[in-house]
Amino acid sequence: MRNQPTISVPLGRAYPVRSKLTEIVVTAILILLALAVILPLVLPFLFVFKTRLEYNYNPWGWPTEIRWINFIEAWRAIRIGEGLLNTFYVCLGAIACTVPTAAMAGYIFARYRTKVTEVLFYFVLAGYFVPVQMVLIPLYQLCGLLNITDTLPGLFLPMTAFGIPFWTIIYRSFFTGLPNELAEAARIDGAGHANIFFRIMLPLAKPATVLATLLVFMGAWSDYLLSLIMINSAKNYTMQLRIASFMNQYGVDHMPRYAAATIIAAAPTVILYIIGHRWIIQGTLAGALKG
Amino acid sequence: MHKNAKTFAIMPGKNRSKKKRDWNELIFKTLLLTPAVLFLVVFMYYPIEETFRLSMTRSTGLGPTVFVGFQNYVRLFQNEEFLMGLKNVLRWAFWSVVIQIPFSFFIAFSLSVFKNRITKPLRVIYYLANVLPSAITAMLGRFVFAPRHGVIPSLANKFNWQWLARIDFLGDPKLAFWSIFAVATWAYCGFYVIYLMANIEQIPKDIRESAQLDGATPWQYARYIVIPMTSYAIRIVSILCIVGSMKIFDLPWLMTTGGPGYATSTLGIVLYKSGFVNWQYGRAAAVGVVIFLLSLFFTIIQFSLQRKESDL
Repeated sequence: MRNQPTISVPLGRAYPVRSKLTEIVVTAILILLALAVILPLVLPFLFVFKTRLEYNYNPWGWPTEIRWINFIEAWRAIRIGEGLLNTFYVCLGAIACTVPTAAMAGYIFARYRTKVTEVLFYFVLAGYFVPVQMVLIPLYQLCGLLNITDTLPGLFLPMTAFGIPFWTIIYRSFFTGLPNELAEAARIDGAGHANIFFRIMLPLAKPATVLATLLVFMGAWSDYLLSLIMINSAKNYTMQLRIASFMNQYGVDHMPRYAAATIIAAAPTVILYIIGHRWIIQGTLAGALKG
Repeated sequence: MHKNAKTFAIMPGKNRSKKKRDWNELIFKTLLLTPAVLFLVVFMYYPIEETFRLSMTRSTGLGPTVFVGFQNYVRLFQNEEFLMGLKNVLRWAFWSVVIQIPFSFFIAFSLSVFKNRITKPLRVIYYLANVLPSAITAMLGRFVFAPRHGVIPSLANKFNWQWLARIDFLGDPKLAFWSIFAVATWAYCGFYVIYLMANIEQIPKDIRESAQLDGATPWQYARYIVIPMTSYAIRIVSILCIVGSMKIFDLPWLMTTGGPGYATSTLGIVLYKSGFVNWQYGRAAAVGVVIFLLSLFFTIIQFSLQRKESDL
């Protein structure tokens, strides 16, 4: 340590030698790629204010006036209001079932390790590797047996089962990492198992809970395959199902209306992302690096 | 967890209330574990057992189920649609690893090495495409590629590039796969970028500094330091990518419904069509088992990689 060379470059810029030219070229490439990501989301705005005739005549010109009719038509065709309500219901259901269940199981697996709980942990862990595609048919039949086909609980209950393994693993590693002293002190003061868990450990696990809530929400929000199987009647359609059925029913021929639908469909996610991108990225990374 | 066991042992009054305490503990453990176990048994393990059982039967969900042994599997491997789906997911996995991962690595590396005021916020933009639900991604994909009205054909018409305007991106059996693949690249690379970047940024500072003192160029830095040090992350991301490819369904289903013909069919699409369009439960279950076995195979590879890593 004593022989550490004095560093002649400003700290914090400790990167390999980079010439100005390469930096400019690479920066330009990166900006172009970012534009390629954003462009499909921005281009619809060029089409959406035109009538069909105006679009066919001059698709790439500026719109002559701002017309909202395409938005209104697309909104009516998708009925996104109902879709949002259904989706929120599914998201809340999935969160309410997944997060507490995983927290409780993760706590036991972390703090009460016996042979039985270890076996059960592997039983849960194995579920993480089961692709949902594999069980679609029996799931559908099962929901028929339980009389929850074509209902929103019939969607978020299986979703929960497939979320539990991952979040149990995350909670387990989180609780394992927590210091033991606090719980010990409480135990000496006479607190029972339940008290220690609910009053002391669970509040300490707040970061994991925030992470789980956020990502379970995102998962339920974007789900398509399970919704497609489980939901049949149009009034129960979630957002993604409505968007898909708009695509199949109306197609791309009426481009201004399609553009309006694209904007309406993407807007909630994009707005959520703009507000919460820091947590979303951090959360995804924390999940991916641990899992 | 031996620590725990010890602290239990020195607790005062242990002997007197041992029995009672143990009962409490047992009840507490059971109560907390029951919901998770119940969910998994009902909505995962029972359906898994059912999948294996159904895959050995001929069943439509209504009439009687007939046990047929491995007939479903044998028939699958003689079925053109299934073979095409299998070929497509394997092709998808191969090209994802060959194209998406190096491309993402290039972006992640550039973002981390050429970090300046302009490039710093770009990571957030790249990841946006990954957050969009697949239904919306498919919608945007059709917005760009749809014949005549899509962005590309429409632009080609504007500039009078007839050769480009004539291409049917989603209707040409050879091109459809690549159009969907392009949309998937657009959508998925964001995740690989932030994951790889997080791993690149974890390279200790003194290593970066010594590379700088030695006057390493970005190329040498990538070749001799970053790639060896993040090889584990690269392998993990590749496996994730492969396992994900086995399950691909949303994008091809929403953009082409597996067509034209079976050109963009995947295992997920074959399963969905046999199960929920043709009501051949047995066949669909057999496809499910194939998807499971393929995922399992690659997951085992991942674990053996991890084990080797921890041996080092």
